[in-house]
Amino acid sequence: MAFEALLGNKLRAALSMLGIIIGVTTVIAVFAVGQGAQNAVNAQFQNLSANSIIIMGMFGRGATQSSKLTTADARAIMEKAEHVKSAAGSIMGNLSASYGSESGSYSVIGADANYFSISNLKLGSGRFFEEADVDSKAMAAVIGSDVVAALFPDGGNPVGSTITVGGKRLEVIGTIEEVGSNIGRMSPDEAIIVPDTTAQKSLLGDRGQVMINAQSDTVDNITIATEEITAILRAEHKLKVGAEDDFRIMDAGSMIGAAQSAATLMTVLLTAIAAITLLVSGIGIMNVMFVTVAERTKEIGIAKAIGGKRADILGQFLLESVAMSMIGGLIGIILGHGIIYLVNQVESLSSIITLAPSVLGVSIGFGFSVLVGVTFGFYPALKASRLDPVDALRSE
Amino acid sequence: MENTEIKLEAVHKSYYLANGEEIPVLKGIDLEIKKGEFVAIMGESGGGKTTLLNIIGCLHPLSEGKYFLEGENIGEVRDDFTLAFIRNKKMGFIFQQFNLFSRLTALKNIALPAIYAGIDKDEREARAMALLKSVGMEDRAHHKPTELSGGQQQRVAIARALINDPEIILADEPTGALDSKSGLAIMDIFSGFKKENKTVAMVTHTAEVAKYADRIIYLRDGKVIDNDYKLTSAY
Repeated sequence: MAFEALLGNKLRAALSMLGIIIGVTTVIAVFAVGQGAQNAVNAQFQNLSANSIIIMGMFGRGATQSSKLTTADARAIMEKAEHVKSAAGSIMGNLSASYGSESGSYSVIGADANYFSISNLKLGSGRFFEEADVDSKAMAAVIGSDVVAALFPDGGNPVGSTITVGGKRLEVIGTIEEVGSNIGRMSPDEAIIVPDTTAQKSLLGDRGQVMINAQSDTVDNITIATEEITAILRAEHKLKVGAEDDFRIMDAGSMIGAAQSAATLMTVLLTAIAAITLLVSGIGIMNVMFVTVAERTKEIGIAKAIGGKRADILGQFLLESVAMSMIGGLIGIILGHGIIYLVNQVESLSSIITLAPSVLGVSIGFGFSVLVGVTFGFYPALKASRLDPVDALRSE
Repeated sequence: MENTEIKLEAVHKSYYLANGEEIPVLKGIDLEIKKGEFVAIMGESGGGKTTLLNIIGCLHPLSEGKYFLEGENIGEVRDDFTLAFIRNKKMGFIFQQFNLFSRLTALKNIALPAIYAGIDKDEREARAMALLKSVGMEDRAHHKPTELSGGQQQRVAIARALINDPEIILADEPTGALDSKSGLAIMDIFSGFKKENKTVAMVTHTAEVAKYADRIIYLRDGKVIDNDYKLTSAY
């Protein structure tokens, strides 16, 4: 009976459902954005261990003097700092590379032999370079998976081949397994890694941007290690008391913390949007339901006059509200996931963020909308069922 | 008194305005309707005819007095379950404006009270179909009320009133919204209730309709002024 009554009034049902559909769809989409942002933050830092410290030279905006940070500073830190387990300097820049007729622009990273283990990189084939290569300024390179794919499209093993980087010839001695995510702003997959001495002398020179990856001996000592490194670098760079640091130092904890608090802020913002959406769609649902109160009240009057018990009548209206809200909610879930799917198909967007449907979004969107739909579908019926049949019949 | 179906004693009914002012409508009604009797209730507009019928039909609680249905005082019953049972099984109500569910077909409208009575689908649809046939409407079973004329809608409403085989038929101006030809057809159906021994109480202001009744109760200003009112010879 309830379904017959429901199908009989398609416009009313459609309007009520529309509010629920919009509510559920929007909340699911909004939470998917939040979840996507969270995932992006997590992916960015999954290669970073908690005791990592990153030191970078001053460059770009705010740099008042040319950076004096060199890969030699890494060795100084390694020697002098008590609570530093390892420190590896790297120098970074963009250079064009070619092999045969294939070429492209890639990040060139000059690093020392520790770099591979500190960055959690896994060997694909060949070997990583060693201390001896660094000392001899060897013209050797370890290349990322995207570089392999681009320069060696035929799928041959690049190890042993000679590639041209920034006009210099380098021998490929190893490849790195695909990582998939970034370290800082750079993806190891798109990198050509060479000994730092080679990079500084032959490839990048002063154009390179120096970064030191250090690790404190324990996670608890990360603050002490940071202070030690600061003191050592200030001494190495002969900075006067009161002069500003000519380098930036960041520890993993505060980097992850900053990114996570940004993601949390975004989640709060999105939750606020979701709450407003739910409020608006809730009001929409309410309006439609209240508009039909008179119509329903009369129907309830008739039903009572022909012998319907309150329980019969309320049961029917409850079933109708639940059915309508559930159908609307399910359509909303399908639509929400459709939107997520479509957005993820758009390449220009998916490189920034990949929307991820979250169980929380689905539950909140569906739960709230269905609750509002049922409440406002059922409440007028509950009120009308308390009237005398005659009074209910009079309402038109 | 075994033969008495409905008996009212000193029944009062008042409405209250929003400001608390009391509007007395029925001011001490005494009446008795026998089993199988067809009674018309006449009277001036605002005299309380419809209110009286609604009280008999348990659509309204009475303010004061006693209402005996088959010898049992139900004037103080307020319990929804009992009242719904009486409206469902004991009585069939026919309205001036038909009050059919516009979204349901004729057949489903007729079957609705049987759903409330807990009768299963095959049984109630068979009954509804038989009743449609008895009012000459079997070819309109799957039409909705909007596709039917006023006279046809009222016949559907009568069939609905009969589905649970009630002892009492209550009708409030059943021909009031119909042209005189359709009205006569409806009154023919009412005449047939006699041989099924149904008790009928019908409100009307038309003498032409009232003459079908065995007896006319005449109300004025909330009181019964004549328990056996005779129509003038004009009819």
